[in-house]
Amino acid sequence: MRMDSRIEQLLEKYWKCETSLEEEKELKDFFNSQEISDELKEPATLFKYFEYQKKQGVDEERLQKKLSSVVESDKRGKVVTMFFTIAKIAAGVVVLVAATYLVREEVRKSYPTEIADTYSDPELAFEETKKALMMISRGFGKAKQEAVKIKTFNEAEQIIQGNSEKEDSSKINI
Amino acid sequence: MDLRAFENRVMPVKNKLFRFALRLLDNAAEAEDVVQDVLIKVWNSRETMNQINNWEAWCMRLTKNLSLDRLRSQQRKATDSLMTGLEVKQEGMSPHEKTEIAESMQQVSELIASLPEKQRQVMHLRDVEGYSYNEICEILELDMSQVKISLFRARNTVREKLVKINAYGL
Repeated sequence: MRMDSRIEQLLEKYWKCETSLEEEKELKDFFNSQEISDELKEPATLFKYFEYQKKQGVDEERLQKKLSSVVESDKRGKVVTMFFTIAKIAAGVVVLVAATYLVREEVRKSYPTEIADTYSDPELAFEETKKALMMISRGFGKAKQEAVKIKTFNEAEQIIQGNSEKEDSSKINI
Repeated sequence: MDLRAFENRVMPVKNKLFRFALRLLDNAAEAEDVVQDVLIKVWNSRETMNQINNWEAWCMRLTKNLSLDRLRSQQRKATDSLMTGLEVKQEGMSPHEKTEIAESMQQVSELIASLPEKQRQVMHLRDVEGYSYNEICEILELDMSQVKISLFRARNTVREKLVKINAYGL
């Protein structure tokens, strides 16, 4: 009887929405665990209904099957996506390299190659230039010497020609 | 969140999600679809799940939204009774007692089904699933006063109607 009065008290609070979750649990447990007197028949039906509702559940097997297929395809999907991403990047790089190469070829064809600056140290460049000029001037010097020889030949030839003319004319004169 | 965490943390709430979807949709097959969709969504957004404080409430809210989307999107009718698959498991009772209990369950079920949508949702979350008021606010995206008023009205309507049923057999 003492129990019943406690339950009645809780019920009053329950209808006024003043019960805590623990107190509501107590009510549920009470109405689902024992024979209920007739005065409490109405709330008993309600609390039994709540308890029955809680027994409903989703079809575990079907759900698991569906979900595992999603999870699996998700894993496989990840690898495939990664492969495609890498392939895309690789293709992009290949196109870029090929394009750069072709464009460079075109540019090379249309512009004659400029003299490239090969020396970074100006003094060294000066020395090299001097060396090159010296080589040219030496070449010129040598050539000049040789040219003097040719001149001698020319002079000799002219003299010979002059003599033979003289001889010819003397022949005619004779 | 990996598969293990997913199974340990998310899977145990699947029945709660199912019951909530069932309450909203009145159709077991569709409720099942919603639960699947919710769980798949959770799985797909598992990277960001750690940022969510109360992911159970988050899942329930998602269940509510997906269920309402379904209700809105298609012309549908409730095919399954709320009591489908609900066995009265009481040992040592005469067939008469069993039918009596099943009958009263059916009455309560119809009674609750006749409540306005919001009241039904709040009552389900509080009295069947045992959520705190704060969690119900979060799930239903309502403020505290609305939740409390809805629950108060729901309980009072149920109480009055139960008395009527018992008194007049209506």
